Amino acid sequence: MIKKIGTLFLRDLKVNKRDFLAMYIIIFPVLFALGINLLAPSINDTTVNLALIEGENPDQVTYLEDFARVEMFKDVEAVEKRVAKRDNIIGVLPDGDDYYVLQQGNEAEGVVDFAKLLVTFYEQDVQLENTNAEIIELGRTVPPLKKLLVNIAILFTSVLGGMLIALNIVEDKVDRTIRAIHLSPVSRKAYILGKSVIGVLLPIYGTAVLVWITGFNDINVGQMMVIVLVSTILSLLVGLIEGLNNDDVINAAANIKILFLPMAAAIVAVELLGDKWQKFFYWIPFYWAYKGNDAVLAGGATWQQILLYSVIVLGLSSVVYVYLAPKIRKGLE
Amino acid sequence: MKLWHSFIKELKLSSRGFYFYIELIMAIIILTVVLFAIPEDFVSKDTEYMYFDLPEEMIDEYRADILKDDLDGKAEYVDVKSGKDVFSAEYYETDKKKYYVVKSKAAAIQIAETERPLVSAVMTLDDTGNVHYKYYLQGYETERLKNTYLVIHNLDINLLKEEVDHQVVRSLSTDYEKLTDRENVIPSLLTFNGSLMGLFIIAAYIFLDKQEGIIKAYAITASPVWMYLMSKIWVILLTSTLSSFIIVVPVMGLQPNYLLLLLLLITSGFFASSLGLVIASFYKNMMQAFGVVYLLMIAMILPNIAYFIPSWEPIWIKVIPTYPLIQGFKETILVNGDTTYILMASLGFFAGGMLLFLMANKRYKKTLAA
Repeated sequence: MIKKIGTLFLRDLKVNKRDFLAMYIIIFPVLFALGINLLAPSINDTTVNLALIEGENPDQVTYLEDFARVEMFKDVEAVEKRVAKRDNIIGVLPDGDDYYVLQQGNEAEGVVDFAKLLVTFYEQDVQLENTNAEIIELGRTVPPLKKLLVNIAILFTSVLGGMLIALNIVEDKVDRTIRAIHLSPVSRKAYILGKSVIGVLLPIYGTAVLVWITGFNDINVGQMMVIVLVSTILSLLVGLIEGLNNDDVINAAANIKILFLPMAAAIVAVELLGDKWQKFFYWIPFYWAYKGNDAVLAGGATWQQILLYSVIVLGLSSVVYVYLAPKIRKGLE
Repeated sequence: MKLWHSFIKELKLSSRGFYFYIELIMAIIILTVVLFAIPEDFVSKDTEYMYFDLPEEMIDEYRADILKDDLDGKAEYVDVKSGKDVFSAEYYETDKKKYYVVKSKAAAIQIAETERPLVSAVMTLDDTGNVHYKYYLQGYETERLKNTYLVIHNLDINLLKEEVDHQVVRSLSTDYEKLTDRENVIPSLLTFNGSLMGLFIIAAYIFLDKQEGIIKAYAITASPVWMYLMSKIWVILLTSTLSSFIIVVPVMGLQPNYLLLLLLLITSGFFASSLGLVIASFYKNMMQAFGVVYLLMIAMILPNIAYFIPSWEPIWIKVIPTYPLIQGFKETILVNGDTTYILMASLGFFAGGMLLFLMANKRYKKTLAA
């Protein structure tokens, strides 16, 4: 049976190679990782952006550059024009001997407050060398945003695994290969397992590449593996169900869209919503996978925690499986 | 007329398939999630931990200062979990931040390690009798932010507050109505659900027709290829417009400019489906096109980051078509939205879509003749 599974996997691999898919699969995680490396530092660099007039008060510009990103423009109109653009940038403009803060009007309160604070610092001649504070750094160099992006990319590769399984199966149906397989000595179980191999390998490979290139080198590999494997089971399940229940590409494609929604909801819930909203998302397996990845990437995960999340994901997946098993069986016929 | 007939025929065909309904059901699911699971305002507050190694009367002053802004005007006593330990703390919540005052320096440091708050601070008296601040930061904070921490207590806090309040703020415009956080996710959803999916779905439609030989059958009918392609696009436009309205109307009510919204939905949908057509023309089946489609979709999702983090907006992100699309959708649902922006974006999508459509038409003519 193992041999048959292997043969099925190799056939998938061959078919996918012909479609350049193998190339994409190998390249995607690398692209993701490189993209994250490019994006993360610039996103992290955000106290406030200020727009000033060039040459009007060079001393002030030098001062403010210690605390904010400063862009310079030739006159008041140019600053106003810049502030009116769609991103958040605050103007600091002279009015007689004083300065005023120019906002567009739709900025968050905190952004304007920060700009006001910096202007006050300058006016009151608050200097770094007079500080009465010291900073002790705990030595973490990976910003939370990078962790978030890596985590999202990991979930994406596992969904990608599911999508591949679904598309491979649908392809078999359309090409009538599946009927040929029913006549061959390959059992249904072997067929399903064989089809699943690619969906398991992709997330593992993808996660490894992502984590390695983005520089999360000191995470607990064992914990990461557990979470990845468990979330893979989920995408496997979804991939198989999608693949077996849909007879053509269009329905499979539309169904895959449904996969993205709970995933996006889980990420939004963990990252943006307060504690009291969390319980509404407990039913989404991705929610737990995301939390697990997050804890592992942060380096502070306990085995207890990881095992708890894994058991929950497994539990939720088996509920889905038990509910859908008859359909899967039917889909194979 | 012929175009109309083939549109109706396509519509009938697709209404027999699953896809059409999935699209509508999805819209209803999204709507339910937006209405019931996304709170109107979900700004997560930054958390700060503090330990005062100071004489009691000074601590009382600090407490009084924090309490001024506290939402319920009194401290709560809570337990803070940190790894295996639990520390008791006083808890204050203002409309912008959460503060915990812990009972020991060790607790402040350990919590900074395990809970990763914005900052954990320890206040002591120095030799001259002044307060000295020690901030425990994670290490990934930028130099600029660290500098701000270093000087923020150089001035007396009350003097600083007073001076900051005296700063003059002028606004370019005062008629901005801000969107609630719930409303704020709508542009992003519309972009993903409606316009982006058009690209994916039309490619799937074309491959289906290729497999079933419909596309070849078309070559021997009297209608030109562009009608066939256009009728496909119309079906996509109809479903995405319908599903978008299902989401927007209940959430936004009468606030949006629906005419402009419709315009932007149609032009951007036209653009996305034409792009899908062009891509599909290069490949034989979905599996082959999958990589390109997937990569494109990821690229198209990137402007969402800039949308949700307005301080971050590199120039290259504005080149991605979904950037003006998200911003355009935002303008349509805002009170006093920027009409010119929406019209320009629509014009751009229409022109781009037209070009792509002509290109697709040319390519399909060639493949059909072959």
